[in-house]
Amino acid sequence: MTRLPALLLSSAAATALTGAAHAQELNALVWCDHTDPALIEPFEAAHGVKVNLREYEGTGAALALLEQSRPGDWDVLVIDGIDVFRAVEAGILAPLDPADLPTGDFFPEVVMAENNSVDGVTYAVTEKFGYNTISYNAAKVDPADMENLATVWSEKYDGRISIYDYYLPVMGLAAMAEGIATADIGPDDLETIGGVLSTMRARAASVAGVVAAQTALATGEVDIVVGGGEWLTAVLAGEQPDLTWTIPEQGAVRWAQSIGVVAGSENPDLALEFVKYIVSPEGQARLATSSCFWGMPANAKAGDFLSEDQKAILRWDSQPDYLARSQLYPAPDADLDIEMQDLWLETLQQ
Amino acid sequence: MTARAERMRGWGFVAPALIWTLAFFVVPFLVMGAMSLATLEGRTLVWGVSLANYAELTEKAYLWRAILVSLEITLTVTVVSVLLAYPLASIIAFRVPPRWQRLALLLAILPFWTSYVVRSYAWLLVLAREGVVNQALLGLGLLSEPVTLANTRFATVTGFVHFFVMLLTLTIYANLIQLSPNYRRAATDLGASAFQTFCHVTLPLALPGIVTGAFLTFVLCIGDYVTPQILGGNTELTVPQVIMVQLGRRADFPLASALAIVLMGIVTLAYLASARWLRLDRL
Amino acid sequence: MIRLLPWLYLAAAFAFIYLPVGALVLFSFQAGNLPVPPFNGPSTRWYADVLADDDLTGALANSLLVALGSSAVAVSLGFGAAYGLARHVLPGSALLRGLLIAPLTVSYLIVGLGLLIVLTRAGLGLSLWTAAIGHVVINLPLAFAILYASMGAQQVNAERAARDLGADEARVVLLVTVPMLMPAIAAAFFLSVTLSWDEFIIAFLLTRFDVTLPVEIWSMLRSGLSPRLNAIGSLVFLVSVTAVVILETLVFRKRRP
Repeated sequence: MTRLPALLLSSAAATALTGAAHAQELNALVWCDHTDPALIEPFEAAHGVKVNLREYEGTGAALALLEQSRPGDWDVLVIDGIDVFRAVEAGILAPLDPADLPTGDFFPEVVMAENNSVDGVTYAVTEKFGYNTISYNAAKVDPADMENLATVWSEKYDGRISIYDYYLPVMGLAAMAEGIATADIGPDDLETIGGVLSTMRARAASVAGVVAAQTALATGEVDIVVGGGEWLTAVLAGEQPDLTWTIPEQGAVRWAQSIGVVAGSENPDLALEFVKYIVSPEGQARLATSSCFWGMPANAKAGDFLSEDQKAILRWDSQPDYLARSQLYPAPDADLDIEMQDLWLETLQQ
Repeated sequence: MTARAERMRGWGFVAPALIWTLAFFVVPFLVMGAMSLATLEGRTLVWGVSLANYAELTEKAYLWRAILVSLEITLTVTVVSVLLAYPLASIIAFRVPPRWQRLALLLAILPFWTSYVVRSYAWLLVLAREGVVNQALLGLGLLSEPVTLANTRFATVTGFVHFFVMLLTLTIYANLIQLSPNYRRAATDLGASAFQTFCHVTLPLALPGIVTGAFLTFVLCIGDYVTPQILGGNTELTVPQVIMVQLGRRADFPLASALAIVLMGIVTLAYLASARWLRLDRL
Repeated sequence: MIRLLPWLYLAAAFAFIYLPVGALVLFSFQAGNLPVPPFNGPSTRWYADVLADDDLTGALANSLLVALGSSAVAVSLGFGAAYGLARHVLPGSALLRGLLIAPLTVSYLIVGLGLLIVLTRAGLGLSLWTAAIGHVVINLPLAFAILYASMGAQQVNAERAARDLGADEARVVLLVTVPMLMPAIAAAFFLSVTLSWDEFIIAFLLTRFDVTLPVEIWSMLRSGLSPRLNAIGSLVFLVSVTAVVILETLVFRKRRP
């Protein structure tokens, strides 16, 4: 009883001391895929610094947190590609010099200059992307049915569906099922989208976050995850090869995350180095296969650092087709965003 | 020593705890109350005295439904837990030989010390379609195909009941063991049946322990976020889940505060309803 | 048959209570990547994995620091308040007792939310310190209640004797009251440690980079299904149970008649 705590306390003291030995610390507000030591440790070692990471859930909360922090508290922000402009409006992101960024090597569709810059000034750079579409268990459902959204949430699969618990991509899919382009979603479309959501919800056994959805698929709780994709099934693929995903006729929603330097950072140079590391081919390969979730690297040169198996799981060779058939996340303004969230919660609780 | 000096010395002992409670409990609570009357315009917080957040609670279906869901789940959990825990506590107190009682009690509450977050997750594995329960029932031929248990209200209630049966067994046992066996013996001698003894002697005497445990169950259950979040399948949200959605996705502190105040109100009502029998200072 | 019924109930209750723990521990020895049937172990690879994870061991150390530190503060404050209220006549003592007990009737989520609002408004950064402050708030009422209830008449006489022999107040408290109340103090401290060490929502709301173990487990839980969770859960259980059993044998056995 006395030795274990003593051991742990001394190890805590040791970590505190080694922490203090680092010359610099970088504070980053990120998504969970950036917390993988395999991604962060090489950067820490190369620069002799410590990277402090904090995960967040929604853009609104991240912006509020940054606005309430003291200037200099944060150095790096990872944010939904479609929300970059909101962070810029709030004065949270510092300009980046496009010359520092290897966007020439990127998949052209995900450079997304219109999203990452405001009034011609670049504030962020795309680092990773993927799809919110249909994940399913090929042994339990007819793969042909998964090629059309209407048959996915048809009566045939009543109670066999889980809905991914994030309103933007799933509402995007619902819009696409009705032939509404995600970029055109307006307040008038919410009734239509709400109708699709109700149908989906009525067929669904659960509304699930990442792990709950993985658990549900892996344990046979459900056979289909609406809003799933490579990020959901890649880590399960090794053991359960029947778990797969597809992009149906109507297309899929494309997610993209961007990274930028926080305005007022006390370590702007180091923060920029971190951003450059993340979008470098090596950093991109590590980010793409991060332990939290996998996703396509924005930088096509990352392919040189990925194994054939990894590329197969990411479906590297299908990207031109997928990119052509997918539409970017809906990007509502603040008012529409709240309406969409309310509609989402209303639908969950029916 | 004068009464005054004596009182000053008493204050000296009480002051640190009092100041701590005031600074880190009462003040935050008051600020939260003020926050519930503020509003959010865009992301700018506007202080003031507005009942807009409370109005929203009645207008938006998902908000008042969350209150109903929370109440239904909490009441179910409280009742079921008491009904399951009382016999267990009573068997340990009256049937198990005294020298084994402490061991039996310890065994009954040991899983209390599994990590709280992990415990809910473990239930998810147990209740899954390919989980232990379904496999066992299929193996025994009681089921022909697996039933959906995880990600339902049933799962949430099961997870909660598991936790609170342990808590209640402890509080009820502590109460039962203090009862002199003479009362029950006297009742039996006077010709009371086992059932009559239970209704007229044991139960009334055990009531403070039961009510205290039930009240704690109610408070802890209605304020819990982890269990419904992991087990409930998100197909219905409880008040704590909605509070966390407001915080995590929108940073809407005013609405979250209003929900928290409503939660407080419900707990206060529960307190008033059970105050007669509560022995909170005798835990 | 009727005589067997209680024992059947006892067996069923224990089965229910140990079902999730059993599943948790069993699948922590899973050899594959998924903690679901069929069981294909036993393997200790996930334990090795967990023990090699610096984030987890760091969080474990943080949890212990917060638990021991906040419990020490909570028990000290609780003891002071209990002694003051039990031994001195103070105006409004019923009200004071009520106020000190009050946090017990408030959900942890609300305690955490209130502190979060005040701390961010005050511009104070979140850290393990703020989580510890929150844990003192929730454990102080318990420590106070336990200690207040245990302050009986037998200590009063001993205290009076010490005072008559010329001991000042500090000596009376430290050399007479504290030793006599040691079992209750230990119980309060221990209960406090176990509650703080496993507390999630306050620690989740009030920490930033350095997090406690339940928060770390929560983020693992959000980021991938894995027997690692079973392994860390089983380890936490093992440590807690060891502590409980040691306490049970060392502290409580002595109080037995």
